[in-house]
Amino acid sequence: MSRSKQTLFFLLAFSLFILLGQSVSAAKVTLDPSSWGVEEGKACVDCHAKSSSGLTHQWKNSAHAQANVNCLDCHQAYEDDDDAMEHEGSVIATIVSPKDCGRCHETEFKQQEGSVHAKAVSIIKNRMPALTEHFGSLSINDAGCAKCHGSEVKVKGDGTLDPTTWPNTGIGRINPDGSKGSCSSCHGRHQFSKAQAREPSACTHCHSGPDSPDKDVYESSKHGMMFEAHKSEMNMDSDAWVVGKDYSAAPTCVTCHMGAAGKMKSTHDVGMRDSWNLNEAVSTQQYLVIFDDGDKRELSTSDPVPRRGESVSKIDGSMGKVKAVASPKRRRGAMTKTCLECHSKNFANNAMLQFDNVVELYNEKYGKPAQAIMQELYAESLLTPLPFDEPLEITYWSLWHNGGTRARHGAAMASPSNTWKGMSDVGRLFYGQFLTQLREVAGPEKSEALIKQYVKDSEHHEWLNHPEKSNPILGYGKMGYGKGSSNEN
Amino acid sequence: MKINDLLPAFITRHVLFALIFGGVCGIGFILFLIEFDHYTSTEEFCTSCHSMELAAEPYRNSTHYKPESGVRASCGDCHVSEGVLSATWDHFMGSKDLYKQMFGPDYDDPVVNALHLPEAAFDARKWFKKRDSATCKKCHVKEAIYGDRPDTLQIHMEDAKDKTCIECHYNLVHRKIPDEKTFKQDKWNAMIEEEFGLEKGSAKKILGH
Repeated sequence: MSRSKQTLFFLLAFSLFILLGQSVSAAKVTLDPSSWGVEEGKACVDCHAKSSSGLTHQWKNSAHAQANVNCLDCHQAYEDDDDAMEHEGSVIATIVSPKDCGRCHETEFKQQEGSVHAKAVSIIKNRMPALTEHFGSLSINDAGCAKCHGSEVKVKGDGTLDPTTWPNTGIGRINPDGSKGSCSSCHGRHQFSKAQAREPSACTHCHSGPDSPDKDVYESSKHGMMFEAHKSEMNMDSDAWVVGKDYSAAPTCVTCHMGAAGKMKSTHDVGMRDSWNLNEAVSTQQYLVIFDDGDKRELSTSDPVPRRGESVSKIDGSMGKVKAVASPKRRRGAMTKTCLECHSKNFANNAMLQFDNVVELYNEKYGKPAQAIMQELYAESLLTPLPFDEPLEITYWSLWHNGGTRARHGAAMASPSNTWKGMSDVGRLFYGQFLTQLREVAGPEKSEALIKQYVKDSEHHEWLNHPEKSNPILGYGKMGYGKGSSNEN
Repeated sequence: MKINDLLPAFITRHVLFALIFGGVCGIGFILFLIEFDHYTSTEEFCTSCHSMELAAEPYRNSTHYKPESGVRASCGDCHVSEGVLSATWDHFMGSKDLYKQMFGPDYDDPVVNALHLPEAAFDARKWFKKRDSATCKKCHVKEAIYGDRPDTLQIHMEDAKDKTCIECHYNLVHRKIPDEKTFKQDKWNAMIEEEFGLEKGSAKKILGH
């Protein structure tokens, strides 16, 4: 075995250990019970049962209340915390950050801390303003984008939370204590329900709409159909929730992306099992790079494979030392493990193959040519660098970000209608608008050269070279595919 | 019968005159103090210093200035004790503000004023606490706080039974300032600098720290 193969083998084995080598049951709180139920916090509910009975009622029905976790256990703060405030003689903070939750729920905190969810602001921070400010304004950011992605919560000098950044339960919220994320995104406040977080609606609250059409996708898939029909058999409140053991009626989002299956433990790192990046103009397979401090990032397979011990930049720009790398194949392996609780290996692998084929088709037929054409137009100053001031840019954006995402997500989660709808949207935009607007922007000579190079010379668009072939779909001509048939018209 | 026959021998005519004169002066002085306390408790008097105008701005948007009931609390109603002696004492002690106004920092400058405001707020809160929120209680009776919601009275009768008004009800009238325990001068400074478009760090210089 060569040295590099040995390293690769080690990395694979290590990733396997990380992904699969954990026990089946949900993580238990290991902190000593004397660490909560703080005396000072016992009286809070006396007043809050009157002043805000709704939230107190939720808490009273929660597992937290049963375990004697009181208001102050979560809300207590130190005087020098930025968002600390005096309240009825106690020093508290409104925001309970993942770091606060992590005092007891350490495993979940660490898992989510490195996940793509926790980085939902950091990843798009530089890109988002172009979309929000050009199409909307900062107020759209505050009430729209940031509600899912998360706000960067600002504490004003008078100790109050900046009203443009709070309330917010975005999944990648940047908290005053520096931690990222918001547990209440999925679990809600005060009742803090496991069952609620296992519902597809916990995810589709954000993963819906044109650029993340997973609500449509899931609901129109066989999985979503079964969930709807067998909701009552889902055992949603169960402490352990291992598919095939504690429930088997249907998989929810959580089942495949986070859930326990067989020997594979559940995880709060939601993107861990995704091998593709499906939300870019061109999809690439992704390595999961795990740093020695537990932080993670994804790297495209088009980048060089990072080695153990190597210094690689993190999402926030700082450098981290690589501890392990999970290959896309290994990540796919983890995802497929869940399938096997209900499907045969061949069934699962074939479904994945159909998915991969759609992604590759999208990439080759539309994603890559459109991207290459756009790059040339920018390079030759035929487009201004400013995003969205030209119709072609809006078409390109809709093509990959909306239609392209729907097609790829549809294929990933077995929704035939969304796979087709997405891909036909992409086709409609590409042939109907993109090429037309390209001709307007680049002029006849340049546009024809680009179209020849990236479109007509490609096998995917080869059909454009045969205008004489007819087909009855538009009410004219006969089945024209095949040699000579067009001459019959 | 002469008036002298009715009085003890040591009350001579001169003493009598002195007593009457002194008594009239005394009554006059008390009346003067009452009027003085009354006048110096008005918004008109307080805001005759420009620095107080800055404190009055948020007050004029508060429920104490514009209550549904139409009962307006003016400066002195909250900040000056009841009773001529206490009121006079409060005004006497308050004259240190006048001294500071004349010889201290330039409180008329909105920036200087805002930077020093927290100190004033902390002092005022201590003043209320020490007097068991006596001036609040001139109008508000714990047993009569019915509120809009059914639980308001219950909270005041049960949970706030041993508390004094100011412990919960601060930041009602003037600019919001955190409790002294969690107050951070540097963050406050930064906020004021941003508010007035000042250079970073300039607040510290203005405060002379």
